[in-house]
Amino acid sequence: MILNEISLQLQSGKANAVKELVCKALEEGIPAETILKDGLIRGMSVIGEKFKNNTVFVPDVMMAARAMTQGSEMLKPHLSVEESGMTGKVCLGSIKGDIHDIGKNLVKMMMECKGLEVIDLGVDVAPETFVETARKENCRVIGISALLTTTMVTMEEVVKAAERAGVRDQVKIMVGGAPVTEDFAHKIGADAFSSDAATAAEVALAFCKE
Amino acid sequence: MTERERFIKALKREPIEGHCPTFEMMFFLTLEALGRIHPFQKSLDRWDQMTQKERRLHIEYDAETYIMTAEKYQHSAIFIEFGFKQMSEYDKILRLLETVREKTGDRYFLMLEGDPTFAMPDGENMMSFTERMYEDETGLKKEAEERLARRLEIAEVLSKRGLVDGFMMASDYCFNVNPFFSPAMFETFIAPYLSRAICAYRDMGFYSIKHTDGNVMPILDQIVDCQPDALHSLDPQAGVSLSEVKRLYGDRVALCGNVNCGLLQTGTEEEVVSDVRRSLREGMNGFGYIFCTSNCVYTGMPLERYELMHRIWREEGSY
Repeated sequence: MILNEISLQLQSGKANAVKELVCKALEEGIPAETILKDGLIRGMSVIGEKFKNNTVFVPDVMMAARAMTQGSEMLKPHLSVEESGMTGKVCLGSIKGDIHDIGKNLVKMMMECKGLEVIDLGVDVAPETFVETARKENCRVIGISALLTTTMVTMEEVVKAAERAGVRDQVKIMVGGAPVTEDFAHKIGADAFSSDAATAAEVALAFCKE
Repeated sequence: MTERERFIKALKREPIEGHCPTFEMMFFLTLEALGRIHPFQKSLDRWDQMTQKERRLHIEYDAETYIMTAEKYQHSAIFIEFGFKQMSEYDKILRLLETVREKTGDRYFLMLEGDPTFAMPDGENMMSFTERMYEDETGLKKEAEERLARRLEIAEVLSKRGLVDGFMMASDYCFNVNPFFSPAMFETFIAPYLSRAICAYRDMGFYSIKHTDGNVMPILDQIVDCQPDALHSLDPQAGVSLSEVKRLYGDRVALCGNVNCGLLQTGTEEEVVSDVRRSLREGMNGFGYIFCTSNCVYTGMPLERYELMHRIWREEGSY
């Protein structure tokens, strides 16, 4: 019952209520991993699904994510590394020449809520930086964002840089952003295109679990 | 009939003859098109250090750049993109407006940015803004009131001096998938202030064009209820259909835009031609349409693509 309440309060974006409930659940002896999976992650999954179906909006997701983050922080001391739910590593950024970060930040938030570790490279990121980071940090996924039609063409350079570095078969490359389309992603040789942050997180998670 | 009068007729959704009015919210390709540096590409860091003469020359130059753009592409309106972010800019912008008016009289419909409403925040401020919507409704509403009051104060001055015909209300509300604000949030934090601004502007004799990129459909009812004279951009990359908006609201508001900027940038020539023809066909049906891109002619767009769009308008965009 308390796990369901955690999920509901998280969906309402009530971080303080979530923290109180998480604390109570721990006191009741519920394992931290159970609280994480059946309370926090379950609530975030519901919000993510609603967001994908356009029944909740970005601020709703952000408040839920804030509650998720704060609730997770309380669980951290009680979780082993394996239990902490980290399911894979992604490096993410806005492509060179593009200083827009709204979409990229939303994707980051949704990915983290799926238990992915995200290395945020920020904005105006050179193609080589994506590839070098993925190689050094052992990232399974590179996520590239662009808002501008003038910058999205540089996304192809990331694919080429990964090929040149000999890591193309070790990393999945995802692209997204307002002007980006499925066709464009296919044309430049990316592995996936996502039209929204929730789907991007799902796709990245699936790649990490492959 | 002047371009200004034609533009006003389109805003009023009245029948006109000849070309469907056209303009661009911003046209950045002035160097390539006219051999002139766009006002936004000029650095005026030493403005305060300049002599009056040098300042006047800069203002003259910028005014001429706006006018030459309008002349070259037969625009009916000129939008001076500068916003009053600081009151120190106030005098400079007034002088720019005065100069454009002096040089063109009433030939063009002259617009300034005038949106007091919150735009969707950038990535850095999105969380703090969202927290305020959830946890500080009173404080955020107070700020919305203050923003409105500031804009109306500026509008009063402009009204007395007869410098502009209307305001482009340029706060963006939407992503491609959905608005940033839910309909309920929009109703609380945006619509009341947008409505009051438009109403006050109208009382002062100004027209209002409400711009937003992205998928505006979930909040479009509320925006139209605020009674702007026109809606701008109607972003096809976000799935906004000109014919559908026309069907739903064409009897209440004029429409501007919908020529797909994505295609202008990366589509084939055939796709561009087809999209321009579609926009003209759907928009001109029943009047109340102003032909333009679904955003602006931005830095990086190939000039020849805008000129192709413009050529089709010239050849086929007549009533």
